[in-house]
Parts: sequence; C-alpha cells; structure tokens
Amino acid sequence: MKSSRMMVSVLVPLVSAGLAAASAQAADPVADRAVELARAYMKAKKIDKLEQNMLLNSLYRNAIGDFADRWEKLTNIKVVSSPLGYTDIPSKIMAEAVAKTGSFDIFNDFPYTMPDAVGAGVVVPLDEYAKKGKPDFSGVAPGLRYQQYYQGKLYNIVLDGDHLILALRKDIVENPEVIKEYQAKFGKKPGCPATIDEWEQMAAYFHTKEGETRWGMKFDKPLYGAMGYRSVNFSYRHFPAYFGGLLFDKDMKPQIATKEGVEAITKFTSIVKYMPPDIQGWGTPQIYPFWGSGQAFSVMSFPSIVGYGNSNEKSVVKGKQLSCLIPQTTWKGKLVRRAPQAAGTGYMVNKYSKHPELAYYFVQWLTSPSVGDEAIAHPKGFWDPFRKSNTTNEAILKRFGEDFVKVTMENSNHAVSLLLIEGNYEYFKILDNNLADVMNGNVKPDEAAKRIETGWNRVTEDIGRKRQIESGRWGVETGLTGARLMEM
Amino acid sequence: MSETQVTRAPSTAPGAPAGSPWSRLGAWLAQERVFRLIPFVLVEAIFVLVIIIPFLLTIYISFLKWRANRPFEQAYLSGFENYQAVLTDPGFWSALGRTFYFAGAAVTLELVLGFVLAMLVARTVRGKAVYITILLVPMMIVPVVVGYNFTMLYIDSGPINQLLAPFTEAMGLDPRIRWLSDPVAAQWAVILSDVWQWTSLTFLIFLSGFSALPKQLINAARVMGASAWQIFWRVELPLLKPAIVIAVVIRSMEALKIFDPVVLLTAGGPGTSSQSIAFYLWEQVWVFNKFSFGAAASIILLIIFAALIFFGIWLLVRSSAAVARERAA
Repeated sequence: MKSSRMMVSVLVPLVSAGLAAASAQAADPVADRAVELARAYMKAKKIDKLEQNMLLNSLYRNAIGDFADRWEKLTNIKVVSSPLGYTDIPSKIMAEAVAKTGSFDIFNDFPYTMPDAVGAGVVVPLDEYAKKGKPDFSGVAPGLRYQQYYQGKLYNIVLDGDHLILALRKDIVENPEVIKEYQAKFGKKPGCPATIDEWEQMAAYFHTKEGETRWGMKFDKPLYGAMGYRSVNFSYRHFPAYFGGLLFDKDMKPQIATKEGVEAITKFTSIVKYMPPDIQGWGTPQIYPFWGSGQAFSVMSFPSIVGYGNSNEKSVVKGKQLSCLIPQTTWKGKLVRRAPQAAGTGYMVNKYSKHPELAYYFVQWLTSPSVGDEAIAHPKGFWDPFRKSNTTNEAILKRFGEDFVKVTMENSNHAVSLLLIEGNYEYFKILDNNLADVMNGNVKPDEAAKRIETGWNRVTEDIGRKRQIESGRWGVETGLTGARLMEM
Repeated sequence: MSETQVTRAPSTAPGAPAGSPWSRLGAWLAQERVFRLIPFVLVEAIFVLVIIIPFLLTIYISFLKWRANRPFEQAYLSGFENYQAVLTDPGFWSALGRTFYFAGAAVTLELVLGFVLAMLVARTVRGKAVYITILLVPMMIVPVVVGYNFTMLYIDSGPINQLLAPFTEAMGLDPRIRWLSDPVAAQWAVILSDVWQWTSLTFLIFLSGFSALPKQLINAARVMGASAWQIFWRVELPLLKPAIVIAVVIRSMEALKIFDPVVLLTAGGPGTSSQSIAFYLWEQVWVFNKFSFGAAASIILLIIFAALIFFGIWLLVRSSAAVARERAA
C-alpha cells in the first residue's frame, strides 16, 4: 500500500510534467518536426553526438546560448556560436566561399548579404529541406517574408523584424501647453506625423536651444528636433523611407537622378540641421543612449530603441515614448509608406557544411513560431517582433509594450527590403558617400544624384547587367522591393 | 681530406637499415656540401611559401576578371583591365593623396614631439625611468583599444571639446567640434590618434640616439666655449641624423599603411573624407568583393611604396656615411 502510494506520488508529477511538455511541444508542429527530422537524420547516419558551428551576429551572443542548450538536449547536437560584429560577417562568408572549409555550418546575417553569398555559391538553397520540415511563414508580412528568397529559392530564414520605426517624446506631445501652442500654430494636435515633410516641420518646431524655457519647461540641455542614422554604413538603410519607388527600373537604369530622387536626397539631408551636430559619426552605440538621455524630441531608428528607452536603467524616457508608423513620402504624386528593413537578421546554411540538412533543422527550430517567439521575448536578445503571433504573446507584449508591438506590426505591412541584388554593398556605399557630401555642403542634391547614377551604372556593368536585371525583376515581381505595395 | 672524413656524420640515418632509401637520403644530407645548405634551403623555402607564392598569386589574380560573389572557377583572364580600372578610379588617387597627407602630418608631429620629449628626458636626472615608462605606454596599447577610447573622447560633448572649450569660445568658434563627422575635423581626429600612439616610438628612437651621443665631443665643444644652442645645433643634431632618418623611414612606412584609426574612428567618413589607401583597399576587397581589382591596386601601390622605401633607405645610408665621415674627420 505504502509502495503503491509512493509510486503514485512519483508517477503523477512525472506524467503531468510529461503531458505538459508534450502539449507545449504539440503546440508547435514546426519546431517538433525540426527536432524529429534532426533525430531521424542522426539515427540514419549513425551519429550519436555532433557539434555544429554558427557565425553569429554578436548582438545575440548573450541570448543564443539558452536556445543552443535546448537544441542540444533535444537532439544531441551542440551548436557553437562564434559572435562577430555585423560589418565583419559578410567578408567572413565570402572568405569561406573561396576557402571552402566548412568551418561554419550556419551564417547569421542580414538578408541583403544573401545575393553575394548565393552568387559565390557558398550557401545552399533550403527548399529541399523545407519540403520535409515544412516551416511556417504565415503571419509574416510579404515585405519581410520575401527577403528569405533570392531568385525564387529559399536561402535565408528571417527571425527579426528590424524595419524602421519613428518614436516621439510622448510627454512633450501630450503636454497641455504644447498642445495649445501647436494647435494654434498648425491647426492640429501634435502627434505621429503623417508625412516626412510633417516630421521635419515638427522637428523644426520642437528643436530647442540650451537654456531656453518653453511650455513651462527649462531646457538645461538642448532638445534636438530629430535624430536618425546619417553615418556611412547607415544612411542607405534609412534612405528608402524617403525614396518611395524602386531604385532601378526594369533594365537596371538608376532612378535616382529623377525629380523624386533629388527630392528624396533633399529631404533626407535637410532634416539633419535639427539633429545633434555629430550625427554623421554616430551609430547605435551613440544614438540609443542619446535618445535615452532625453535630448531629442524624435528618432527614426531600429525598433529596439523603444525597448532600450523603456528598459535601460539610465533612460529618462521610460514610459515617455510614442511609437509611430514610418511617415509617408511622396512618390509620383502619391503618398506611400516605406518602412525599410534596415537590419533584421536571418540564418543561412553553408554549402560546405558536412551536415547542411542538420544545420537547416536547427534554423527551422529556432525560427519556428513558438521558439522564435521565445527568442523575441528573451530579455538579453535583440530579436524584434515581426510575426502576427507576436501580438498575442504575453512575454513579448510585456517586454516591448502593447502599443509598440501594435505599431511595429502595422509598420511591417509597409516593410520594404533594401537592395537585394549582387554587389549591393558597393551600391550602398556610393549612395552613402554622396549623401554625406550633400550633408556636408560639398555638392547639391541634383549633382549628388548624377554622381550616384554614374557610380551605380559602373557597378552594374562590372557585375553584369543581364544578371542584375534578372535579380532586380525577380525582386519587383515578388513584392520584395515594395513595388507591389506601390501598386495597391 | 682525412679530417673531413673523420668529422662527417654517420653515413646512414639513425635506425634506418643500411641500403634503404632513408639511409641513402641520410648519407646524402650528411655530405658537407649538402649539409651546409640546409639552413639556407629552409629559409628560402619559407620565403618562397610565404612571400613569393602569394605575391605571384596576387599578380595572377590581378589579371583576372573576378569578384568573390562569383565562384573562382568562373574567373577569366582580362589583361590589364583591372589596372586600367584602378588607375582611372578617382577614389584610388584621392585615398592615396589623403594617405600621404595623413602620413606627412602625423609623422611630422610625431618627430617633433618625440624629439622634444626625448631631449627633455635625456637631460633629466631624477625619475628618468618613470618618464620613459609612461611615455612608452601608448605604443604598447592595442590599436583597437586606442581607437575605441578616442571614439569616446571625440564625442561632440566629450572631454576633448570640453577641454578646448575655453579656447574655441575665446576665438568665437563653435565649442562642439564635430571630430568624427566634419570632413576636416575627422581627418585630424585620425591624425591625432595616430600621433598619440606613435610618438612613443619616435621618442624611443631619439632617446637611444641621445644616449649614444659621444660625451667627449660635447665636452670638447663646451671646453672650447660653445654655447648650449651651438652644442645642440652644431654637434648633437648632426650626430642624431641617422636616428632622425630611421624614425622618418620607419614611421613613414607605417603611417602610409594607416588603417586601424580610420576603421575605428570614422570608417573612412564622412563620405570618403578620411579614407586612407589601406582602408580603400580593404573595402574594395572585403566589402565589395572585388578581389582582382584589389590585387591590381595592391601591385600598383607596391610599386609606388617600393620606390619610396628605396629612397628612404638611400637617405639612411647616405646620412650614416656622412656621420661616419664627420666622426673620422
């Protein structure tokens, strides 16, 4: 009797824990399938234990371990990460294309690294594995979903919605004195700007010098009207928010030296006068803390800046941020909204991996709806919300705030990729250099547009116009570049 | 003859059966005419492997049409196309010109500061070791750390601008110098960080020069009534010529390769205003994947820099010979 009681007391928790685990697993067949297929692969190849390597964006170094440990427990496959700064990852991938070592099984980087990696033949198409594993991309907006493909094949599975967002100082726009004065001047209450022009108008209005007293507040430090990324290697990520159309036509003729292109350059550069003077030298390590210090009225940035503002211990903007949709820009007389996918990493599999199929299963598991949501909610991670399921996930809502998640998901419907063709880093650099020249007053926007056009044509000819046309057209057809959104 | 036979190593390799290929190889290697060449062959082999083969490969790649975003198997010979592309690229020439400007400004400042510091320390009686240690510290710091620290110091509201504020304000200038985002200031940000780190080296070279000055010549000049300035100008400075040339040659060669502060402080920006030739090359190869273009640019640079180095070495030899002649006289 005693022994049967003991058995019951041991078995009941075990069974209930098993049931709980089973129900948790059953909730996500995508993750389950990845685990089962990985186990079956190991069994078929008679492998007991395995180690795979991932070249990881260093942003995730503090969080990835939790997921790698779980994967190891589930499959006996240890995924070892080598964190590296994002600027160094593409060159490592290209070095692997030449060296063919197979040292890394998985590459974690931005989608726009994919075209060069595919061209070099260093990454494998994942379609065959996906046929077996059946990943789930439902609930992901088209502008993000299609960034996983290149020329019709799946190469890169995205787990990060790094499309740009605009944040304002809620405490300022909701200040009764501000509302009164703003309404008297502009005939409307201050709030999220509808257009890029309106954002600049707000930036000009709220830009306040050090020592001024406005709306009953004394500004010991200046309040800059706006902030956004304007340094080399960052400007190109923001530019599509200003340029509503495609950068090239169907024959790869640059569309930058047009009325719309010159306007976009003008607007991109003119708002800089309301930004901190050193903005052209700033990246995230400077912009995030500056926003947190409360010295800017508005910022266009990666969405995680809102989370930073709320969670950083030194932040003075906790609970004082208003998340906004990216303001609209004008394209051929119409207003269009473009939220560039300015970063947002995905996972690719090395062609020279000894077990690319196993690497794929880890990627499918990590990016599956359930595990992916956990990653996004991870307090030490930098994965941003991007999937519809994120809007109902309590941990994600708790981490990012309901208001922000709602806005960023709405923004994702307007997400456009950066240029997804080979040689894109060179195209980007030509754009960045010329934007910098305009910001520094070295050239006028129309002259910069001509120089960009010349530079882009040179790159296109060097890589091969025919191939670039194929990639460009494919991107337009899939809606990757926002062309479809434009037609809607 | 008989002595040679006595001192010769055993004619078979240890442990190898007599008449086997190993024993014959051992016997052959043990011959004096072969044995004495072994170190030379090893050195040459390393030289060939590490320098000659990569160099020949670079030349070969420079004649190919190849970007790394295509498999190497698809590369094809394109003659001098890459060389033409490099020579007609305004970016190459402006990066090269900027590099000479950086190197010229940085090396001049480093020479002046290093010389003055070495002269002061050489004449210090107490605490010399402490001064030397402190002044050598910058050189010992990893360049990445220097670059990172300077990014913090250069922030527009950072300590450097705060220190300069009384002067800039007195001159009616904006006290918030945009060290990292103004095209001219960014260039000086790069130069000054290089000066901060490498003045240590010129200091060390000059200090060793001062220590090696022959005391009897200086004493003789003093006895003959030469003033301190005359001793410095007529005796010490001519004797320090080789040290000066060494410092100029070593620092110029290094400064022409300036890369770390550019990457860490400005990434070549704003625009291309602080891009050095090393950064330009790195970007062409590792960011734009233009391997064959980069190879051609490297070869062209090699020719330019080799000419400069030969000139530097010629200067060094000439000044050493002149000093030797003066001492002999």
